[in-house]
Amino acid sequence: MSEDILFRQTFAIRGGDFERGGDAASAIKVILKQLGFPNDVVRRLSIANFEAEMNVIMYAREAELEICVLPDAVRIVLADRGQGIPDIEWAMQEGNSTATPEMRARGFGAGLGLPNIRRNSDEFEVTSTVGVGTTLRYTVFAGPRAQV
Amino acid sequence: MGETFHTIVTDPARCNGCVACMRACPTDAIRTRSGLAEVRGLACIDCGACVEACPRDALRAVTSTPADLARFKVKVAIPSLALYGQFGPDVRPGQVLHALKQVGFDRAYDVSWMCEMVGSATDAYLSECQGPWPKISTTCPAIVRLIQIRYPELLSHLLPIETPRELAAKLHRRRLASELGLHPGEIGIFFITQCAAIMNSIVAPVGLDRSYMDGAIAISELYGPLRKALKEHPGSEFDDAVSARGLGWAMGAGEVSSLRNSATIRIRGVGEVLEVFDRLESGTFQGIDFIEAYTCSGGCLGGHLTITPRHVAQRSLERIARRLGEGQQVKEEKVRSLLREHFFDLHDEIDARPVQPLAGNLRQAIAVKQEKDAMLQALPGKDCGACGAPDCAAFVDDIARGEATFNQCVFVRLRELEEESPADQGGET
Repeated sequence: MSEDILFRQTFAIRGGDFERGGDAASAIKVILKQLGFPNDVVRRLSIANFEAEMNVIMYAREAELEICVLPDAVRIVLADRGQGIPDIEWAMQEGNSTATPEMRARGFGAGLGLPNIRRNSDEFEVTSTVGVGTTLRYTVFAGPRAQV
Repeated sequence: MGETFHTIVTDPARCNGCVACMRACPTDAIRTRSGLAEVRGLACIDCGACVEACPRDALRAVTSTPADLARFKVKVAIPSLALYGQFGPDVRPGQVLHALKQVGFDRAYDVSWMCEMVGSATDAYLSECQGPWPKISTTCPAIVRLIQIRYPELLSHLLPIETPRELAAKLHRRRLASELGLHPGEIGIFFITQCAAIMNSIVAPVGLDRSYMDGAIAISELYGPLRKALKEHPGSEFDDAVSARGLGWAMGAGEVSSLRNSATIRIRGVGEVLEVFDRLESGTFQGIDFIEAYTCSGGCLGGHLTITPRHVAQRSLERIARRLGEGQQVKEEKVRSLLREHFFDLHDEIDARPVQPLAGNLRQAIAVKQEKDAMLQALPGKDCGACGAPDCAAFVDDIARGEATFNQCVFVRLRELEEESPADQGGET
């Protein structure tokens, strides 16, 4: 089965780069608005992307975030190289976090990252190998407007 | 109707088509193609940044004229609180109101007490509100317009409470009509304004059918006559009804200080506003319940129709407020009973007015985007404004809309010329 990818763009994210934290999410927001997606789609993806991007900055070494615009959805694949998540089920529970005090002081580490991404997407999948990295795939359906 | 009316106009005799205003505009609403700055109605929020930036005084705010005043039997002035800060710390608000009656108004009413009242009403509203959070103040009309055209997602965050100036006008018109036995239409209420945005909010109101005011006159226009009047007839009117708490609104911090809820911020100046709104829109700005926002840095004291520099005016106003004392002017029971009457409620919903027309469908939109990206790549990226658009990205938008052509870029044309003419042109001596 071949997929109809209408538009694709990749962003590089570096671990520890708080200075540019949120840049990829902002750039994607601009693209989604340019393409005329409804506000709701833009908002949900912006929240999910920001959480995902900050996860990389806080926990991983580096990552690529790829956005694919499909005829009826927007899909994000974020593959990082880093420590991985030993217990995904634990990390998916609200309130669980391994954030350091420094991260918490910056307003992160409420343990809402992954659950928040899941909540703001229609499909969500996370796979991880300890010591290698984590891959997130999430999709937001874009409704009837996208029917070309 | 309201969409196309704008308070800011270009004087062709003064404008030389430089790009100062265009670059200052936060919403890319200006183009300087035919050697003249043109304000595009749909994108303009009447913030006045262009008026401030113009070195030739070629952009002006259209305000009410003496002829507009003459239409009414009774002429009423409601001065912006910023007016109190224009004449130094020793001129009391009561004297300013008195002076307004020397320069052509039959009545002059203070608005600070209504600010205090709206502050209490906002406090009551927030304590029962279910969100979405944070709520954003509607006092600054340029902020409301900015949200309408650029941040439609934030419309549901706007505080559904009418502004103190409109509410004061509503109340005074009602009272005066019955006191003088006049038809309400025979009373002309004019705001003495610090900015063009308020003038526009009177002519093309948002959130209500029709403004309770009839026009606005710039502080800068009345400054001279008022100074003279203050000197000749200083007056000794009481400041009894003037609220020190209310005066804070002129400094862009009045609303937040009247709230019990402390999860509040105040943002002033377009840069700050855009930064916060961008993050709000992305859902990445949390833990805040209320935002008091003004497009002018310095709040209303920084309005472009004022005379006194805003820091000086702020100092004066702070001293005036201190002298008035911290006393509360407004009784809580009064506010509660008005709340029950829905006196403060914003009349209508505020609608979105997006500037960018959406492309027909997703495939077309992507094709347009890719075409624009390719053009942007081919441009120098100097954002010089020589083509008549504020930056290369806006230029590309104009081309896509069919309003400009690629070779209006001077760098593109230069490149074309270099390619056309062979190197043997260096023969001149």
